[in-house]
Amino acid sequence: MTDKKPDPRRPDETFEPFEATRRIPWPVYSIAIALAIWGVIMLVQTSTAVQVADKAQTEAAKQEPTKLAQAAAPDLDAGKTLFADNCATCHGDAGEGVTGAFPPLHGSDIVKLGGAKAVTQIVMRGIGGKLNVNGESYEGEMPAFGSVLSDTEISEVASYVATGLNDDAKTISAPEVADIRKVAGDMDPLDGGAGLAGLINNLPAQPESAAAEKGPGSERVAQLVSQGSGTVWACASCHGDKGEGTETVPRLAGLPAPYLAKQLHDFQKGTRPNDSMAYVAKGLSDQEIVELANYYATMTSPSGAKPSLEGDLKRGAQLAKEGDWSIGVPACFTCHGPSGVGVAPNFPGIAAQQPAYVAHQLAMWAGGARHNSPLGLMAGIGKALNDADRRAVADYLASLAPMPAMDKTELAAMESNIPVREGVDQ
Amino acid sequence: MSNKHPSDIPPRGETDPSRGKTALRAILAVGGGLALVVLGSLLVNFGLAPSWLTGATRDQSEAEAAAQQSGGDTQHAKLFTPPAESTIPDDDFGKSVRRGLAIFNDTGTNAHDFVGNDLSCSNCHLDAGRQAFSAPMWAAYPVYPKYRGKNKMVNTMEDRIKGCFTYSMNAQGSPSGGPPPYGSDVYRDLQAYFFWMSKGLPTGEKPEGAGFGKIDKPAKEPSRQRGEAVFAQNCAVCHGADGQGQKDINGKVVFPPLWGPNSFNWGAGMHKINAAAAFIKHNMPLSEPNKLTVQEAWDVAAFVDSHPRPNDPRQIGDVTVKDAVDKWHHNHQGFYGKEVDGKLMGPGYPSSDQASAPAQNESSGG
Repeated sequence: MTDKKPDPRRPDETFEPFEATRRIPWPVYSIAIALAIWGVIMLVQTSTAVQVADKAQTEAAKQEPTKLAQAAAPDLDAGKTLFADNCATCHGDAGEGVTGAFPPLHGSDIVKLGGAKAVTQIVMRGIGGKLNVNGESYEGEMPAFGSVLSDTEISEVASYVATGLNDDAKTISAPEVADIRKVAGDMDPLDGGAGLAGLINNLPAQPESAAAEKGPGSERVAQLVSQGSGTVWACASCHGDKGEGTETVPRLAGLPAPYLAKQLHDFQKGTRPNDSMAYVAKGLSDQEIVELANYYATMTSPSGAKPSLEGDLKRGAQLAKEGDWSIGVPACFTCHGPSGVGVAPNFPGIAAQQPAYVAHQLAMWAGGARHNSPLGLMAGIGKALNDADRRAVADYLASLAPMPAMDKTELAAMESNIPVREGVDQ
Repeated sequence: MSNKHPSDIPPRGETDPSRGKTALRAILAVGGGLALVVLGSLLVNFGLAPSWLTGATRDQSEAEAAAQQSGGDTQHAKLFTPPAESTIPDDDFGKSVRRGLAIFNDTGTNAHDFVGNDLSCSNCHLDAGRQAFSAPMWAAYPVYPKYRGKNKMVNTMEDRIKGCFTYSMNAQGSPSGGPPPYGSDVYRDLQAYFFWMSKGLPTGEKPEGAGFGKIDKPAKEPSRQRGEAVFAQNCAVCHGADGQGQKDINGKVVFPPLWGPNSFNWGAGMHKINAAAAFIKHNMPLSEPNKLTVQEAWDVAAFVDSHPRPNDPRQIGDVTVKDAVDKWHHNHQGFYGKEVDGKLMGPGYPSSDQASAPAQNESSGG
């Protein structure tokens, strides 16, 4: 043991015997190697993804200046897409119009004479009154897209209508649209042909202004809406000054008066459950209900609704325009009219409705909490849609322009029909 | 182990028992590693890995939902599913298909000159002619040409569509005064649409889901009176209490009129109570098929079909209603040539004064 000369074959003093004897088992190496390979694969994948993203970014950056350079020349392809999304449900894919209902845009004398500028005004403000196009008479109740489309989008779609659907040479740029918005952005819809005549020179004969009174009805109703009464709080405190609603509080502006009246009666009777509205409705007289319903039906307000439920807009558009018959759901527009403007008295407008409200109501119909639709039509549809579908269609509807308001003259004709019908409800 | 002593290295030529082992271990380790990678990627690819690991929850639940949806209606499991609209090709053929689809969905606009009423093909052939038991066009296309008793000759698909324009679309009241002439693009585009939709179905065989489906005979003779009540309860909300349909704020027809001057004429298939009853039973109210009982469907069909409507266009010149009954209507289950509330059904709205068809003459009739 006192051997001073260390055996060269012996390990040095720091040696710990188990290192040499207990070798690392091979499966551990296997796992290490597998992890290493996985790591390399991940690295390669990430770097490819980054490269692709970089490339896309640089390309986008390259396009940005050209886009800016083209500010004066709006993107007509984008205009065509916008047209298909916003206009085609009424005016047709090629702007051919619908006989007796929606005027043609292709070969339209109004578009020809007014060009992209007049189209911009019409798109931004909408139309509320009779007009003549190519000698044919139309009701001319077109929603205003000012709150739904940006200046760039309006310039694109108006330019497409003027140059793509017709052979006008002049387009309109986004700054020009912005200038028009400064002046006319908050104005009421154009008063039919009479309103157009003020915009476009040498327009062929147009029907005279119907001078349809719109907006607030009697002072009493206006007060009820904005201040409420002793027992009833103001409608506007929840539904907004312009009846535009918010989140789960519905938009009321532009809904058919008979529909609104029926809902208020249903809240009163408890056939549509809602604690707040039951309280409010019980404080209203039948006369007040009629007046309030008329007030909101003739009201036009910009859309305050935006898609907010992360719904799949493509699926929503499919449900709204075509339906999904594999689950027994017809297109929303089959009953609620083209572009969801509604069909009075029983089918309310659903365009520009608050998405959270729509999705909530669909779920309530599905669950049976709401059960006051005619024939129970909405119960089956609510049940057939799954949660993702309900969010998809609610978000899509929120992306549409608000439905046009009903004019007073039409309302008067309908007033006698306001249903306080028992038995029809289920 | 930096301080390896030279003597650690086994002398050349000598066999070290551990050397073979090390190589074996290395092979095992590398092989095992590769095997793990392959196994792992297989697990992920075949969806066997737990979802919390791969983050695939969303996809999976969607796939399940889709599977549930398609499998939910087991009764209709064997029905043909036509291709989705989004798969119409982006070429010249596809353009024709799209034009056909547009005509089908809004006939009064896209074939304006040949439509004499407020109807579109898709009013009865639901879901753009795709819905089974709603006379889907994918079921009709493969069985033409065929012999038809209606005109006692072999009909091509073009002949058949011409018939639809003549009767269901009341072409006699249209701007052109008749159906599209033979060879018209209207037929070409509609047939392109039907042909495209029927892809994969055998020709000459009537597929399951064709026509309006079968309906049992009613226990009691169909009654207009009972039908009126069924109508008020289940149909009036959409088609109007007067059956004249409803339009939106711009005057666009949203719900089609069921009788009167703007509906189908006395030669259309839908004027037969049995055809209307089968359609109603399997398709109405919209989204609630089979809601009505067999008896209710027959009753309400009788009510709808016992109102005045435009003339049978074959009834021209000296042909009286009685002649027409003997010639064309004697074996129909309908009200043509019969008296309803003291009024003869048949001479409804002749084409000459179609435009000025008096509304008061029509009244509600029930």
